[in-house]
Amino acid sequence: MPHRGITLIMHLLLLTSSVMTTANATNDSEFIKFETANLIEGRKLWLDNCKGCHAYGTAGAPVPMVSDEWKHRVIKDRAVLYDHAINGFFGPDDTMMPERGGNENLTDKQVKFAVDYMLMLAKHYLNEQSN
Amino acid sequence: MKHSSLVISISAAVSITAASGNVYAAGDTVPVKAMADALHLVMDSDRTIYTRKIVNRLVKKEKVIKASEHFDDDKALVLPAQMFRFGSELVQKRAKKLPDVNFSYSLQSLWPINKQNAPKTKAEKDGLKFVADNKGKNYYTEETLGGQKYFTAVYADTGVAPVCVSCHNKHKDTPKNDFKIGDVMGGVVIRIPIDG
Repeated sequence: MPHRGITLIMHLLLLTSSVMTTANATNDSEFIKFETANLIEGRKLWLDNCKGCHAYGTAGAPVPMVSDEWKHRVIKDRAVLYDHAINGFFGPDDTMMPERGGNENLTDKQVKFAVDYMLMLAKHYLNEQSN
Repeated sequence: MKHSSLVISISAAVSITAASGNVYAAGDTVPVKAMADALHLVMDSDRTIYTRKIVNRLVKKEKVIKASEHFDDDKALVLPAQMFRFGSELVQKRAKKLPDVNFSYSLQSLWPINKQNAPKTKAEKDGLKFVADNKGKNYYTEETLGGQKYFTAVYADTGVAPVCVSCHNKHKDTPKNDFKIGDVMGGVVIRIPIDG
């Protein structure tokens, strides 16, 4: 039985758009390409293994396009970021970065390439914000 | 800003502030989409906290207990998706005694391990396909079932831990075995009856 207070006003809302967005759509082509070979490889690895969470903030994953989430990370020792990505990491709120992004087939070198790409992405948006 | 399009009565004596900053006064009503979004926010936050503070902390970090689909036999924690489903079933049962509370929600998938969790209506099928194909977006529509019109919202359900993905990929009944972490594996369907 419908709620007494429900009216047809929602039809107007639906007429304007039957689909509404909670986050920006992110196609692969929208992610910045860098020129060096390692970063080209890193971008491909990142899109295949990291984007699913890090592009959307899924499960608390820090989004490189959101500068506030990365300004304290880009100044960290890169070895720490590599370690967290390779061996997994529990954040202060019990968020969990899985080992190798959950893909056990990735080598250490491949994980580092993906981390390098994400760092470059984060730095790009930090620089953009400061300009 | 006071909300102008109001559809569900708020009986509380105090005003309610939505995350967007809208303020509803006592006696106002809430748009059905905002209602669905608020319900999903609560469900998703509860499940996130269960995943982080119970499963991640006790199973993964401290390693003091396991989480298992067969939690009774294994004396283990229920999986986050199971906790969500049990909540949905309890809400259905309890809501029957509350005539002013009328909505339902369920966790469904285009690739369900349990066939009962496959979409049944066109809106469910369209919504699950949409959220899988358009990550970061929700799906909203209306549908009429048994002569009753409903507002139906579908929200993506994403695999966020290796165990989610590996369990679905390896399960004997799975129709899909190439999920990756971060993939949309299904969706939460919220349905609210409306006039019209």
